Amino acid sequence: MTNREKYDQVFIDSFSVTKDQLNEGLVYQSVQQWDSIGHMGMVAALEESFDIMLETDDIIDFGSYTKGIEILSKYEVVI
Amino acid sequence: MMSNNDLFLLAKKSRVQLLELAFKSDGPSHLGGGLSMVEIFTALYGSVLQFDPQNPEWENRDRFILSKGHGVLPFFVALHNAGFISQEELYTYKKNESDLISHPVMNLRLGIESSNGSLGHGLSMAVGISLALKRKDNLTSRVFVVLGDGECNEGSVWEASMSAAHFKLDNLVAIVDYNKLQSDGNSDTIMDIGVLEKKWDSFGWEVISLDGHDINALIDALNKASSGPSVKPRVVIAHTVKGKGVSFMENNNAWHHNRLTQTTFEQALAELNN
Amino acid sequence: MSMKITGKENKQWSRLGARATYGQAILMLAEQVDNLMVLSADLGNSSGLDRFKSSYPDKFLNIGIAEQNMIGVAAGLAKEGNIIFASSFAPFISMRAAEQVRMNMGYMKLNIKAVAIGSGVSMAFLGNSHFGLEDAAIMRSIPNMTVVNPADCAEIVKTVFAAAKYPHPMYIRLTGAVGFPVVYEDDYEFEIGKAIEIRQGSDVSIVATGSMVYESMEAAKILQDLGLSVSVLNIHTIKPIDTDALDILIKKDKPIFTIEEHSITGGLGSAVAEYVSSIPNSPTVNRIGLPDEFVITAEYRYILEKYGLVGTQIANSIQLKLNIKQ
Repeated sequence: MTNREKYDQVFIDSFSVTKDQLNEGLVYQSVQQWDSIGHMGMVAALEESFDIMLETDDIIDFGSYTKGIEILSKYEVVI
Repeated sequence: MMSNNDLFLLAKKSRVQLLELAFKSDGPSHLGGGLSMVEIFTALYGSVLQFDPQNPEWENRDRFILSKGHGVLPFFVALHNAGFISQEELYTYKKNESDLISHPVMNLRLGIESSNGSLGHGLSMAVGISLALKRKDNLTSRVFVVLGDGECNEGSVWEASMSAAHFKLDNLVAIVDYNKLQSDGNSDTIMDIGVLEKKWDSFGWEVISLDGHDINALIDALNKASSGPSVKPRVVIAHTVKGKGVSFMENNNAWHHNRLTQTTFEQALAELNN
Repeated sequence: MSMKITGKENKQWSRLGARATYGQAILMLAEQVDNLMVLSADLGNSSGLDRFKSSYPDKFLNIGIAEQNMIGVAAGLAKEGNIIFASSFAPFISMRAAEQVRMNMGYMKLNIKAVAIGSGVSMAFLGNSHFGLEDAAIMRSIPNMTVVNPADCAEIVKTVFAAAKYPHPMYIRLTGAVGFPVVYEDDYEFEIGKAIEIRQGSDVSIVATGSMVYESMEAAKILQDLGLSVSVLNIHTIKPIDTDALDILIKKDKPIFTIEEHSITGGLGSAVAEYVSSIPNSPTVNRIGLPDEFVITAEYRYILEKYGLVGTQIANSIQLKLNIKQ
């Protein structure tokens, strides 16, 4: 799986969204499952998938599908 | 005596100090409900309250109780600006084993009269202090209590309110930080308090309703002589905005208890320093 | 309606923490229990209930910041046939609303599950006004109350499900925070009132509850390296206490150590000591817990360490007491 595929799969699994919802419109609280609980679950899944540990500030700033890509690059994960 | 302009600048400075304190603590703080009270604290500690930081147990001091205990940010900043808490000590906020934590812990040296945090306790103690002051013929000191509007959900507030009027405590002033939000959201939808002014009035208090961010109006309301023939405690219903001063925090309950990141801290500071 | 759990789920819940797990558990329960109602005193978001609120708005009631009223309202709802879970921070239920708990739950035995979130010292910098230092002691002293303190997130889920079927008033005390360590890596049998032997041993008997079960397991491993065989008993139900399990420990005739994230006055340790001391020739009961003081305010783990409540320190205390040389 490519990084992009892994990244997308986490969002699809965590928030029950479809592939065409994976864009800049997918932001925190824009879909029902992306609440505070869903957020923690998504972060955990990403950490496991890419074998990284996100810093608290990054977890808080991770407000959208696109922002997340930017954040992951800090951890040397290129989507 | 601070001029109007001085007080305005003090409020501005206090907001910046508040944000810096919260950011440096590297964890969540009650930012929204702290920012809504900056003008209230500016009016109190910048003008109205009689105190002496060199003599914190001065018998003729005014007593202040933060019944809305989680509002420590502007409180600690005000105590610092008033000379009770040094810069160094201020920055022990939320450090392990510190005296300055997320709620006030009684410490007269630091200017903190009472331990609070559990809501609905402060007004009762204020009633007790007011009674005691009258009993010992201290006609100079007054007692000021700040409550939250959510806090007014607690029955104990109304027990205290009833008793204050019953005991004719005209040396007691309550201020309600009426920002219309509480932990879970909109106060109206959670527990509709009706018309807050009318509730307090019906409990026998003299009620003054005003814009809680208007420092002059606050000072007038806190200082003015009583208007009526009957002897009553006074409540200032201060209509405020939770998160006031930082656009993305205003009326945004995500900031009830939250932490600032480098990004949000810089954004907030940039707005305040404009 | 017994809830099976998996090790994987437990790990996920552990990350979310105790409160969020309560929210998840009650959400799952709602699918199965039609007459369920969940109450909060303006701490819905703090109790991990936001998802529940949006999924089952008609089953959720926010009473505002009014805990005494919450228990009273819960009583009325329970009396009319609803299964009620009402949550707030430990001191506000166990003390602010103690009389309402006493009359409605104790005296009238109304079927309410009062859930104390953030008990023990997990509220960290919020300080003593928010800590649950003496809540188990107070709740246990009221007749007809059941008091449960789950050991990890899986046990929180099992407790919630078991509680829904248990037709008696209950105080559920949630210790632990985000990253609440896993005790149960696989599914297991859970029954209110039945203690669980987590680890077998023959030299020392540890009895623990809530967050201290994990720490006790860590302590036991350390002591094992020193040649001591240590058993660990999870007493999740402080009241009614499993006297059969205690009888087994008494028969072993080895020193008993109780460990709790609660004052040593009145909680698990006292409950164990009350029973054990009534049996002739019984072993000593050594209570490890928070002192009879208001505690410091700091980060959660810092506070636990200050009072000797992490695995290494518990092992050390036991060694010192038994005069074991390293």
